[in-house]
Amino acid sequence: MGDLTHVTVDFSRSHLIFPEVIGTILVILAVAILIRDRRRAMGSGRYWREIFARMDKLRFFGTLLLTVVYFSAMEPVGYRFPNLGLGFLFCSIPYLFAVGFLYLHHRTFRAALPVAAMALVAPTLVWWLFGSVFLLTLP
Amino acid sequence: MDILSIVTPLFVGLIVAGTVIGIVFGAVPGMTATMAVAVCLPLTYSLGLDNGLALLLGLYVGGISGGLVPAILLGIPGTPSSITTCFDGYPMCQKGEGEAALRLGIVSSLVGGLISLLVLYLFAPPLADFAIEFSYVEKFLIILFALTVMAALSKDMLIGIFSGFLGILVSLIGTYSVDVGGNGEYRLIPPGMENLLDSGFSLLPVLIGLFGLAAILDDAENGIPAGQKASDVKVGAASAFSFSMFAGQTVNLIRSSLIGTFVGILPGVGGSAASILAYSNAKTFSKHPETFGKGEPAGIIASESGNNGLTGGALVPLLSLGIPGDSTTALLIGAFTLQGVQVGPLFIGNNPTTWSAMIIAMLIANVVMFAVMYLAIRHVARIVTVPKQILFPIILMMCVVGAYTINYGIMFDVWTLLIFGVFGWLAVKLRLEIAPFVIGFILGPNAEVYFVKSLESFGDLTIFFTKSWIAAVLWVLIVGSIAGSVFLSRRNAAADAAAEAEAEMEDAATS
Repeated sequence: MGDLTHVTVDFSRSHLIFPEVIGTILVILAVAILIRDRRRAMGSGRYWREIFARMDKLRFFGTLLLTVVYFSAMEPVGYRFPNLGLGFLFCSIPYLFAVGFLYLHHRTFRAALPVAAMALVAPTLVWWLFGSVFLLTLP
Repeated sequence: MDILSIVTPLFVGLIVAGTVIGIVFGAVPGMTATMAVAVCLPLTYSLGLDNGLALLLGLYVGGISGGLVPAILLGIPGTPSSITTCFDGYPMCQKGEGEAALRLGIVSSLVGGLISLLVLYLFAPPLADFAIEFSYVEKFLIILFALTVMAALSKDMLIGIFSGFLGILVSLIGTYSVDVGGNGEYRLIPPGMENLLDSGFSLLPVLIGLFGLAAILDDAENGIPAGQKASDVKVGAASAFSFSMFAGQTVNLIRSSLIGTFVGILPGVGGSAASILAYSNAKTFSKHPETFGKGEPAGIIASESGNNGLTGGALVPLLSLGIPGDSTTALLIGAFTLQGVQVGPLFIGNNPTTWSAMIIAMLIANVVMFAVMYLAIRHVARIVTVPKQILFPIILMMCVVGAYTINYGIMFDVWTLLIFGVFGWLAVKLRLEIAPFVIGFILGPNAEVYFVKSLESFGDLTIFFTKSWIAAVLWVLIVGSIAGSVFLSRRNAAADAAAEAEAEMEDAATS
């Protein structure tokens, strides 16, 4: 019994001990869940088709796409105006307007005005607060 | 210690601001107290620990309390923890008793918050003193116990455990740090990402993604349901609120507050469990259980005192063991880390001023929550009409600011926010449990150190069972929580099957 439970830790491999233990447990749990929920797993194709069928694709993928563009643009724009946080400001204003406009249910000029005001005021306020008051770095 | 040195005008102002913003987050369906804390966390970077916590605790108390407003006025829980408030609050509102229901909920929230605060004040220090004696073995078992309790109370125990262990695995990505006695080697990093993931994923961008971006993606998937029009919100004052409505409810009020506090103490178990348990107990012990769900004030009292009871309770394991009691307190760990303070058994002893500041902040936050909501009830009711096309873009921007500034300007942290935002959305679809995942992610690195160092020191797996009587007790609790969960799920399955069979027999008889 003593030999069975005895463990010698090789320091050079010690970084792998815990990930291997956790990984093994996860595989066992995944197999148990798959066996138990095999019917649900078999029907997962239909489940995902249903999700995509009733999803608001414009707002969901629009949010994702705008966010990816926003994140990608922030640093390159910021490099043009080093250490001023203007990459954040110049990218946040159109991003906030675009997302707000995307979320509007009636996209009229009148409805877009408060969204435009929010898109101008909120990033400017945050840029000033973090840059000038909190002295924190922005892109 | 001079209390006046803690309670500065800035300290109080931040609590008031936090509580009011928290109420707004709680009152807008789809936004939660956790999201409020995640979004406002970057504002604490320059505030210092005590003032930062003042803001965050105000957000926590306000966020949990604000959920009752749409629950009563619209029948939609503003936060998951106010789900049972809908059951009786909305019927009361439909009868024109909305104002009375709101005030009933607000007073109950205050009592729940104060009772849980008392429990926090009395129990966290002795628990911490007890936990100081723990060796790595007991510390590892405490984490294992936290994960099994969470999993046992999940909708699905197997998936709950899987989610917790998945969180641990993700937390291990990066280097086995030399600072904690590791060998400094990389593991689990995809090729080519060694520079980006050298220290793994940062905690706060992960949490902000899971609780901020994921919630907005979920709302976007559903087409960002339009907010209510002001004309749709009818508070109704057909019967005036009076404190006499609490007559005969003292036991319910105290019992529900204590249930909420106890559920809060259990690691990773959220407010919805607290209010559901308090509500079902109130119904069980009521002389008129048939009135529940039809506008019974006792239902609102149980639900709201239960979910606010969570607030103090969830801080007990955080401040005594370093284990968050719910998702929101998990974010508070981020605030402590930000200021270089480690929470755990030594926290209260080493940081008496911060400990006092937290107690005072919670007390003031509860009083402010009560004053704001009770006195300005008709204005608070209008919060449910705040348009999401204005709020959500600002929240998205604040998520970015929080993620970017956490490590003083690392763009990969912003991408981490996106990765975990999408993961959080997917995880819900895959029926994974977010709370155990988060707790696993937070506690994973510590669990590794405790596990590996225990093996290095003792060289035998039996040490986890034989180290001390505490270890043995913890194993009993671990096995007990799993066995209890299996028993309950089987009993529920049997009850469902019996109900189905009964319904089929009734159908057959009528046809």
